[in-house]
Amino acid sequence: MNWKHGILILVFLFFAQACATTSLPPISQTIQLEEDEKRLWARAAEEQKALERSGLIYRDQALETYLNQVVAKLQPPEVASPLSFKVKVLKHHLLNAFIFPDGTIYVHTGILARIENEAQLATLLGHEMTHAIHRHLLKQFRNMKNQTAFLATLTVTTGGLGGIIGGITAMAAVTGYSREHETEADREGFKAMVRAGYDPEEAPKLFLHLKKEIEEEKKPEPFFFGTHPRLEERFENYTELLKTEKQKPSGGLKNAEVYLESIKQLLLDNARLDMKAGRFKVAESTVEKYLKIKSDNPEAYCLLGDINRQKGSDADRAKAKEHYQKAIALAPTFPEAHRGLGLVFYKEGANSQAIASFEKYLSLAPQASDRAYIEDYMNRCQGKGEKR
Amino acid sequence: MKKIFMTSVLIVAMGCAPWVRVGGLYKSDAHQYTVHLPDGWMRWNRGDNVLITRDGVELQQIVLLRWAIDEPLKHTKKKLSQEMLPFEIAEVILDDIATDREVLDFRLVENKPAKIGGESGFRVVFHFKTKDGLRLTSVYYGCIKDNWFYGIRYTAASRYYFDKDLKTFEKMVESFQWVKTG
Repeated sequence: MNWKHGILILVFLFFAQACATTSLPPISQTIQLEEDEKRLWARAAEEQKALERSGLIYRDQALETYLNQVVAKLQPPEVASPLSFKVKVLKHHLLNAFIFPDGTIYVHTGILARIENEAQLATLLGHEMTHAIHRHLLKQFRNMKNQTAFLATLTVTTGGLGGIIGGITAMAAVTGYSREHETEADREGFKAMVRAGYDPEEAPKLFLHLKKEIEEEKKPEPFFFGTHPRLEERFENYTELLKTEKQKPSGGLKNAEVYLESIKQLLLDNARLDMKAGRFKVAESTVEKYLKIKSDNPEAYCLLGDINRQKGSDADRAKAKEHYQKAIALAPTFPEAHRGLGLVFYKEGANSQAIASFEKYLSLAPQASDRAYIEDYMNRCQGKGEKR
Repeated sequence: MKKIFMTSVLIVAMGCAPWVRVGGLYKSDAHQYTVHLPDGWMRWNRGDNVLITRDGVELQQIVLLRWAIDEPLKHTKKKLSQEMLPFEIAEVILDDIATDREVLDFRLVENKPAKIGGESGFRVVFHFKTKDGLRLTSVYYGCIKDNWFYGIRYTAASRYYFDKDLKTFEKMVESFQWVKTG
């Protein structure tokens, strides 16, 4: 063999590899995983274990079951094996979701709290599932220059998950996929949600929430579908897809009630995360969303009280007082509402009312972790010590 | 950690010790306080905030820090203000820590009022994990004085190291005094 033959063989091998990458068929029962794909899956399993240990998992068995039922409706029968789709929820206020190549989807509480119905959820899940079915991560991986470094990295510090996330999570959750892969995920995900009987009109609405969120936040943060321009692309893609769908008979499932019922508690928990992050406006609107589902929950009113109390202005404190009083009217033995009310009275200088509220709080929650503060404030209301 | 190490190497190479052995009275003119630092610990010899350790910052560290209350916090959008009660200051500081993406599995153990050099403030105790799974415990004292937030925080590996230096830390907090100005 002369050198010309050698070059020809190398050129052939190069194109053969390129074709192997671009022509990778979707995962199906007849497909065998490739060697590098198996390594990616093994790496993904390790990263999932790290997530499990991180304390970030939102534990709600009923919610997980519900989410997995939605996934099952979207799953094409031909990919039942080896992909096994399952959904996990992460305690995080950011609007994000990502999938590992083995089919495990992680959805943040933030995005679930913003979604309005099952059809929008199906849009999100359908999009993510397409990434796994069409092996986007493997394709992207094969195009990377430094695969060893990618597999070795476990300390990518980005993506709203801090140092816990590994290279695969970072790529899936933060960097996002190529434009071509995202467009394919939009198209195939959309088909899946329509096939499952959901209302296609709901698909683009998912992106309106995300757009609103980015505009309100006014700062670049890692979001589902990446950055604002990419979000615009997603919105345009779904609007185009909807146009073709509109030529068919309209209608379809929204399943708003069942969805909201399933995420009811998550709404309050995520509002608390938003409150901690100082995102008071979003926190407040999330609690209001909850109250539309269940208007007689003292916990929700108490949380609204806490949000307004922490905003700190006199007007906000007045609102906080109203919310605490509403919580007490609904459940006179709800301790935290008495504490909140006591703190508002204390700051207003209404000493006797503050003492009464604090006494009630401590009688209802004698083991309260903040008991020492409350006793201190009661003493100060009685003139024992400077009022701070 | 890697950054600290690299910076240390560079500074040593330039002939200036980044860590200095400490002990006894320490006075911060910039931050207007005095405190007794434990004998034999090492202090990071840079900036006005104090960082000391005995066995290495990953195993145990004490920091004394100060920032203007109108400065944005690192992780939460909440803001501190002069009018806040110690309970409210603690609420903001705890939320800033709990929303730090590097802080995992945050658990509050204790939250109570405390005095820092006679100033009303808070004392909180909490556990958390690092990305490497190391469980740490912190005791954090904080207060607001003259539009500045002052914090004294002890963090150590929950197993073995935390108990070992807790008394040393508490003794140090007791020794904290404000320097009168003007």
